[in-house]
Amino acid sequence: MKLRILLADDHEIVRRGLRALLEKHENWEVCGEASDGRECVEKALQLNPDVVIVDIGMPNLNGLDTTRQLLQHDPHFKVIVLTITDSDQVIREALDAGARGFVLKSDAARDLVSAVEALQNKRMFFTPRVNDLVLAGFLEKGQTVSRNEAPKLPTLTAREREITQLLAEGNSSKEVASLLNLSTKTVETHRSNIMRKLSFHSIRDLVVYAIKNNLIQIELPPPPKTPAGPTAA
Amino acid sequence: MTIRILLVDDHPIVRQGLKTLLEGHSGWEVIGEASDGAEAVEKAKHLSPDVMVLDVTMPRMNGLEACRVLRRQAPGLEILFVTQHDSPQMMREALEAGARGYVVKSNAARDLLAAVEAVSQHRVFTALNGRNVPELS
Repeated sequence: MKLRILLADDHEIVRRGLRALLEKHENWEVCGEASDGRECVEKALQLNPDVVIVDIGMPNLNGLDTTRQLLQHDPHFKVIVLTITDSDQVIREALDAGARGFVLKSDAARDLVSAVEALQNKRMFFTPRVNDLVLAGFLEKGQTVSRNEAPKLPTLTAREREITQLLAEGNSSKEVASLLNLSTKTVETHRSNIMRKLSFHSIRDLVVYAIKNNLIQIELPPPPKTPAGPTAA
Repeated sequence: MTIRILLVDDHPIVRQGLKTLLEGHSGWEVIGEASDGAEAVEKAKHLSPDVMVLDVTMPRMNGLEACRVLRRQAPGLEILFVTQHDSPQMMREALEAGARGYVVKSNAARDLLAAVEAVSQHRVFTALNGRNVPELS
């Protein structure tokens, strides 16, 4: 029987690339695709795939919270997280969320097939950098504080994280309410609680928090061209 | 006549996705791939493509710098940016660097074929997220 894989990435062009790569393996099939985390959770529940490949930086519901939701629904889901960054914080969060594979997007053409094979054989797959961190005692409580780690702030609930992401993506309370099937009043209550917990006073603070905590990801433009000439010491 | 295309993006998986899409179009051929701007400039010399599909953010030499070099090196080559940057400023900069087209990566599956078709006929094609942009030329 073929191994059934669900792909979740907000870029169709990336999903096409992943599909082309995975379907070269004759015993694997891509049984579905999703363009954001919410759709991924819905499709996973419908399709019951053997492996779910999830991009971290997706709109509406990011890949880490998607992983958490999937495993909350069914701990047997096997999730591989795809990411553009292997910072300590992202790795830690992916492991905490319950991912069984962690692959850098830039290395996907090389590593993804190995990752799926590993999960198929009931093993885990992580990039060498994750292995290094684990060897360094990364998983032991109280060890290593990453230099990239975001400052410690009060923990948000899963629902509060979802709402934070949606607000930071520019949705109004009304739009968030519609996306989550909640009343606007409920969303506004969550919003007040989030702002109070984090001691924030503006949506700008919330956006910065969402970026620092990988709820949303941004790509920065290349640095401006510097004029040729001697550089200051 | 076959349109010969060079694909430039630092993520192989994105190049694979673009290739799958482009090769579904008869009469178009992906003749090569490059993973950064410097490699793109080098390969353009040897392969003489008609159209280059170029990312902006890449290591070693970014797409804008590569575009400026290629404008001088291969004036007949048409350059189409396919990028994450859904920004009018970035689009303006790309066109000023000498590109003929600009498409946002999240919409590439929708816009890429029309964009390659247009730039291969030396027409401008620009589309930001969800909206076509009037020609700036």
